[in-house]
Amino acid sequence: MSRDEGAVIAAERDVQVDHAEGTVEVKRLGIGFWLSIAWIVLIITLAILAPWLPLKDPDQNFVDIQGKGRPPYSPSGDHWLGTDQDARDMFSRIIFGARVSLVVGFSAVAFGFVVGGTIGLIGGFVKGVFDKLTSFVMLVLLSFPALILAILITSLMERSLFTIALTLGILSIAPVSRLARSASLVFAEREFVTAARAMGAKPSHIMIRELLPNVLIPMSALALLGTAVAIVAEGGLAFLGLSVEKGSTWGKLILIGSDSRTLENAPWVSFGPVVALFLTVMALNYAGDRLRDYFDVRELAL
Amino acid sequence: MRYWLQRLAMVILLLLAVSLITFAAMNVLGDPLFNILGPIAGDTENPENLAKIRAAEAQYYLDRPFPERYVRWLGDFVRGDFGVRFSSDGQPPVTDLINERLPRSLLLMVMAQAIAVAIAIPWGIGAAARSNQLPDKVSTVMSFMLVSLPGFALALVLKYVFAIRLGWFPLAYNAGNPWAERVHAFVLPALTLALPAAAVYQRLLRTDLITTLQEDFILMARAKGVKRRAVLFRHALRPSMFSVITVFGINAGALIGGALIVETIFEIPGLGRAIVEAILREDFPVVLAIVMIVATAFVVLNFLVDLLYTVLDPRVRT
Amino acid sequence: MSPAEAHDVLLEVEGYSVAFKTPRGLARVVDDVSFSLERGHTLGIVGESGSGKSVLNRSLMGLISSNRQVESGSASFDGEQMVGRDRQPFWGARIGMIFQDPMTSLNPVMKVNRQIFEPLKLHLGLTGDAARVRAIELLTKVGIPEPARRLDQYPHELSGGMRQRVMIAIALAGEPELLIADEPTTALDVTVQKYILDLLSDLQSDTGMSMILITHDLGVARGRTDDIMVMYGGRVMEFAPTAELFERMQHPYSEALMQSIPRLDQPKHTRLTPISGAPPDPVDPPPGCRFSPRCRYAQARCVEELPQPRGKYVASTHVWSCFFPVASEEGRSALAANSETGRSAAGLAVAPADRTVDP
Repeated sequence: MSRDEGAVIAAERDVQVDHAEGTVEVKRLGIGFWLSIAWIVLIITLAILAPWLPLKDPDQNFVDIQGKGRPPYSPSGDHWLGTDQDARDMFSRIIFGARVSLVVGFSAVAFGFVVGGTIGLIGGFVKGVFDKLTSFVMLVLLSFPALILAILITSLMERSLFTIALTLGILSIAPVSRLARSASLVFAEREFVTAARAMGAKPSHIMIRELLPNVLIPMSALALLGTAVAIVAEGGLAFLGLSVEKGSTWGKLILIGSDSRTLENAPWVSFGPVVALFLTVMALNYAGDRLRDYFDVRELAL
Repeated sequence: MRYWLQRLAMVILLLLAVSLITFAAMNVLGDPLFNILGPIAGDTENPENLAKIRAAEAQYYLDRPFPERYVRWLGDFVRGDFGVRFSSDGQPPVTDLINERLPRSLLLMVMAQAIAVAIAIPWGIGAAARSNQLPDKVSTVMSFMLVSLPGFALALVLKYVFAIRLGWFPLAYNAGNPWAERVHAFVLPALTLALPAAAVYQRLLRTDLITTLQEDFILMARAKGVKRRAVLFRHALRPSMFSVITVFGINAGALIGGALIVETIFEIPGLGRAIVEAILREDFPVVLAIVMIVATAFVVLNFLVDLLYTVLDPRVRT
Repeated sequence: MSPAEAHDVLLEVEGYSVAFKTPRGLARVVDDVSFSLERGHTLGIVGESGSGKSVLNRSLMGLISSNRQVESGSASFDGEQMVGRDRQPFWGARIGMIFQDPMTSLNPVMKVNRQIFEPLKLHLGLTGDAARVRAIELLTKVGIPEPARRLDQYPHELSGGMRQRVMIAIALAGEPELLIADEPTTALDVTVQKYILDLLSDLQSDTGMSMILITHDLGVARGRTDDIMVMYGGRVMEFAPTAELFERMQHPYSEALMQSIPRLDQPKHTRLTPISGAPPDPVDPPPGCRFSPRCRYAQARCVEELPQPRGKYVASTHVWSCFFPVASEEGRSALAANSETGRSAAGLAVAPADRTVDP
């Protein structure tokens, strides 16, 4: 493609072609990205600080038959997002619910990335029997419909925060390892790795010092997206009554408000947490997507 | 040819692995005897109960070693005999349950995919044709939102708006209703599944179309004098379908078993709910059967998608 | 050519410029280009990558669909002004275009027959058997053996040379008056190149159509064109009838181009002198002559002032824009001066005793 054609196409894609340096500059992350990050930070902060914030007790029943009739009470000055059928304050329940939902989400992703990422990284570099074996195992894992697998696992043990997070983590191992593996394969062919090999560096050394930093880049871009998926998955499990036993998560809150009567008369019971979930997931999705564009992960896409 | 045989072998291997794992998992779960016989299961002292226990064990091959049980089960399964349920009220064959529920799940999946494709294709084409202009940016945002809203939340929203407020659709599915009403009741659940899928398909189509439209042969087609619209539909569309088809295939497989949340909210007795109930009740044969059906569907569909590639892209045919 | 002969001009371009709005500013990719092309003649447009030759032709055709494009000047085809108009009606029927890479220019998932039938139906109204017959005729004309069999094949089943022929057949299907060939042989084998170029010449004399042959290789243009236009940095450097250009080259850039092509009659192991440096930045070009940073003849005036063409770029005339043309007094002394100091006015290193062109 001639230089001027390049300029035409580049101009059409909002990309700056710097002739002097021969570099191409992709546009910045954008304001949407920062807004999303801001929301995520806000939610995390609120969740962490929840016990110390001036919120109503999420488990207390603020029944007031005299003044307001029977619960659920609609949003008002007293209860910003109304109450549920047991007159518990929705606003504070949502914030406290964030604690579990977020913890589950992040730790599931962390687990999946560490385990899946390691397997994939090693597999892509070492290849051979190890790779064939692990790839096959991953493929089997992937062939299980995810939710069913989750239910299967959760029904095997008691449902604590740890086990739920673990389950979701296990679910994320397969896709993450696939990504790590393909990234590893790509980078393993690059010259700096060959150079390191030629210098006599040990395989483990190469993997950690050369491959890992490079593979981490696309993976971290996907971490945000993965968290979104994990939070949604937890919500799904909660909806089926299969999430953590104690404590509330957004999924559980949504479930509580989801029967037809409540939906009809007091939609806020369900939709309050729905909106919170939606905004958080959207923020994670959007930020993750922008990061993916920025680091141009497309070529390594699953 | 060799390639396809290898693929086929892989498919079979995969399914075997899935079945083995599931079978093994089931054996770790609780105590089947308890499910079948109730509390008397532990009572080996009473000779009457003991007889019952022995009988149950014989019937379900529970006294045999694991590998034998697995092979027996596999043999039966392949011949279409999914065994009988671990349940205390008689032993209805699993196939009955499957036959009752599978068609509903299938119908739901087919409807959902059909709606999704019907929405996604014009949407994707429109977005690609006006790429980076206002309608496209709006469509991107909408698409994003649809994908970010979890299935159960979307289901609730749709239920609220269309069933409760507007009353266009029934609140729940009733198996006793006439055929037309039952299909009508499937619309909202199908829509719940279709909308996020459509957003994904549309996005993929749009991206691929935009890429294809920059190819030289599109320029050539224009230079031949072919009008914009014809170029879009006759030249650009077909090479741009690959990503959509891949995801479509994967989705189809996933939807058969993965619609359980939707089934729960709209109270549809389908495969998804069946398996959840079965897991909770430790009704192993059912769990095994459904997992295998879903996994098979999934793997086979993927295989078909690959096959479809060779039809669509003549370059792949070797 | 006697001055009294009427010139039947098919394409007349005057002061034509194409620029693109980029975040860094306006990129002037084609700058004030003027030329004319007569019926039945072939114009060769020669220049390196970045010279603007491709953008020029695609813009003229109106194929660039970017809303960042700014087109100005005049271009009239057979008397009809094209600039500012939708050029779709011209495509295929009056102007045909063939592209550089036949593999990517043909739709990979469509059989050859459909791709040829399209213009036949659009422009000649042929369908069914009539179309098939004509298609076979066209394929035969471009020298494809077993045309009927090839019609039903996919592009990837054909060799590179055959694909290019198919592309030519498709472009000719609409029976255009002008064919624009954008680097038609660059992606092909050297042996195939000759056949394709010969084919194009033959087709031309057959149908009487005009042709614009775009290439970066002066050698390709030689002997197959009536006039040659040398472009650099979006501007026209020199315009001349082909033979005249090679005998009496005037512009230093043309000379440099000549010197960088290997030729059979040169003694073995002759050093090829590639042109050092890079094309100018279309957003921020040098104020003077575009070529001055890389020109061995460059003097102070070249860096500051933009040379204008001495006369109009009309068919059969020899026009150039340079203050110190190669074959002139000024040129020779300019080069001598630079060789002495070892530098041109733009700072380019000039080795002493560089030989001048020997046509």
